[in-house]
Amino acid sequence: MNQLNLFFRIFIFPGFLFLLVTALFLHWLDRKLIARFQGRVGPPWYQPLADLVRLFAKEDILPVGSNLFFAALLPLISFASVLTASFYLPIAIQSAPSFQGDFIVLLFLLSMPSLMYFLAGWVTRGVYSVIGGNRALLQYFSYEVLFLLAMSGTAIASGSWSLADIRLEQIKESPFIFLQIIGFLLSLAGLIGKLKREPFDIPKAKSEVIAGALTEFSGKKLALWYLTIHLQTMVGLSFLIHCYFSGFWQMNTISGFFIFLLLLIILQGVLSAISAIYARLRIDQLIHLNWHIFIPIALLHNIYILLI
Amino acid sequence: MNNITVPIGPQHPLLKEPLSFLVSLEGEKVTDSTLRLGYVHRGIEKLAERRTYIQNVYLIERICGICSHIHSTTYCQSVEALLKLKVPKRGLYIRMLLCELERIHSHLLWLGVLSKNIGFNTLFMYAWRDREIVLNIMEEISGGRVSHSVNIIGGVRVDINEKHLSLLQKSLQELTIRVEEILRSIENDRSFRARTRNIGNLSLEDIKRFCVVGPVARASGLDIDIRRDAPYAAYDELDFEVPLMTEGDVWARSILRILETIQAIRLCTQIIHNLPDGPVSVTAPRRVPAGEVVSRAEAPRGEVFYYIRSDDSQKPARLKIRTPTLTTLITLPGQLKNMQLADVSAVIAGVDLCIACGDR
Amino acid sequence: MNKFILKIRSFFYLLPNITEALFSKPETIAYPAVSHRPSESYRGSVRIIAVNCVGCGLCVRDCPAAALSLEKVSKGCFRLDHYRDRCASCGQCEMSCKFNSIYLDNSYKEASADRVDFFEVLVDKTKKK
Repeated sequence: MNQLNLFFRIFIFPGFLFLLVTALFLHWLDRKLIARFQGRVGPPWYQPLADLVRLFAKEDILPVGSNLFFAALLPLISFASVLTASFYLPIAIQSAPSFQGDFIVLLFLLSMPSLMYFLAGWVTRGVYSVIGGNRALLQYFSYEVLFLLAMSGTAIASGSWSLADIRLEQIKESPFIFLQIIGFLLSLAGLIGKLKREPFDIPKAKSEVIAGALTEFSGKKLALWYLTIHLQTMVGLSFLIHCYFSGFWQMNTISGFFIFLLLLIILQGVLSAISAIYARLRIDQLIHLNWHIFIPIALLHNIYILLI
Repeated sequence: MNNITVPIGPQHPLLKEPLSFLVSLEGEKVTDSTLRLGYVHRGIEKLAERRTYIQNVYLIERICGICSHIHSTTYCQSVEALLKLKVPKRGLYIRMLLCELERIHSHLLWLGVLSKNIGFNTLFMYAWRDREIVLNIMEEISGGRVSHSVNIIGGVRVDINEKHLSLLQKSLQELTIRVEEILRSIENDRSFRARTRNIGNLSLEDIKRFCVVGPVARASGLDIDIRRDAPYAAYDELDFEVPLMTEGDVWARSILRILETIQAIRLCTQIIHNLPDGPVSVTAPRRVPAGEVVSRAEAPRGEVFYYIRSDDSQKPARLKIRTPTLTTLITLPGQLKNMQLADVSAVIAGVDLCIACGDR
Repeated sequence: MNKFILKIRSFFYLLPNITEALFSKPETIAYPAVSHRPSESYRGSVRIIAVNCVGCGLCVRDCPAAALSLEKVSKGCFRLDHYRDRCASCGQCEMSCKFNSIYLDNSYKEASADRVDFFEVLVDKTKKK
């Protein structure tokens, strides 16, 4: 029976199938909300699934001179790292194995896809891919640091680097969102920079570099990148919810599960609204915003958390 | 850093029409750029010599989709001058109404394209949503959303009845509110200003050296407008202002074009309140006597200039068209030096190119 | 006070607009699930009232796209062809006709993959009764 339980946990819930379905649902919600904000109807509910099926059916070619081995390996590494990251994150029903330092492991695994994105631009040699990859690397150096700094506020407040302890601290006192609203907003900005969403989507700006580092990919490789990006969104949002909103529900209950889903939907709505109201920023404006405005505020915020 | 040559090539998501731009980059800075035209050249001027004057009205309309009515207006004005015809006032007013409606639709389209190229998709959708009001009016009056086919030699061939007038009044009121909201958004939104302020500056000396016309020239301080300086088609009976700005960057061009849109709505309101009665056209003979004529009009992108030489037949001997986009294109490589790649899209979209007009 | 509010709002200017758009009816329609009818004056396909046509050829002479062609056998005995793929729906034929015979209605031209589908015989008066 233990084997069956394990199979169920890994592949069905809260494993593979549940993650994919929720990630595609969040992506549909994002597109529908942005469409409604702009006064359009928006895609039907099966659109992300239809896109995925269509991508699997397309031809898979790469330019002459690209390193075929790495071009096939990089999407697999990104996909695998995001799935492993979701293994450590408690998604409101099952309590996952937790140890000291799994906070850092989770951050590292979530940042792997960005690094693989830059390498993918380098490996498929094309003008647009290289430019997109270079910009993605600049953004990676800046916004991963911001995300780490802002999220560390919660780890500092709970006194340990373990996810289970962060949750226990929020159940004992109040959820961290009430005390650390600035930290929450900064980690949201860091998440937008990590995911390369508007307004920080200069690496894959359609009007300049067509699709950035992924310009030359197609077929099954692009389908894996597509899944990786949406899973990264979902795992990132779940990470934020776990670290800031943990006291609102109980583990292993149906009501807890639904509160978790509701929080996911609300945060995705906030991300879509932010994407809709800003123009895309240039790369030097992004770096200036990060190092001159966001990081100092994050440092001051962490010092303030340390003192109280 | 290494030197890369980025092709903003014949097919690119940035461009509406094919145009070849080879931009040499060093890191993110542009060092040099090369321009190649001619991808949409259809030989309109030669084709016009093989068709009769009546058939040419429809050929001229299809030079450009966005400024089609202005081209056919200028052409019909030239032939009417050769035939020494006097178009009745009601016909001239209807021509002006469609010219101004076309100016509104062209500027809203351009704002959408600029917003899309700097990543501001919401403003793109809002501008095109408001453009639908204008396109619906044009479909009701003329029968086509983009190619109106309203002009004939001797006047216009549609008339405006009471239903059209009430639709026009309602739509123009709604459009005024929406365009003013768009103007406030452009003036105040910080992310739009961050992408367009101090980008692509053109000084007054550059404007005069390259003979640039239109909103690009007015945004740098050159005060020219054919509707006011050499009025055609009863513009001297209407009251309007010509906005002028001095900064010369993409932001100034955006503000200027929206101010022109507001003036165009004001002109349309005057036209529908002062519409005179009478016929809308006179019959024109098919055979045009020998002569040559020059005619100018103010397209949404600047001054459009027609020269026709006729021998005593039903087909023109020579038709020469000079569109405003050609001079604006030539200023682009100078503007793009020492700029980042991300600004290239803002500048190319900010000068409002209509390559089909430029190539003919 | 107003200037101060505008300065604050300039950091996220379109936020009231997008909330208003979220709760109003969208401006686009989900075509082709929802059908769309153009207005009455839309220039669509060329149609004919065959009894009025006498085969004078004014429409053929004035068509800018050479989409009409007339084949005359003898007086009163002719056939008028129409090439729908060349037609630009300009309406010059409707204006040139003096007998109220050819006109444009507001239907869309259907699409097809074969050029042969676009050839249409408008009037066939070749057989004398």
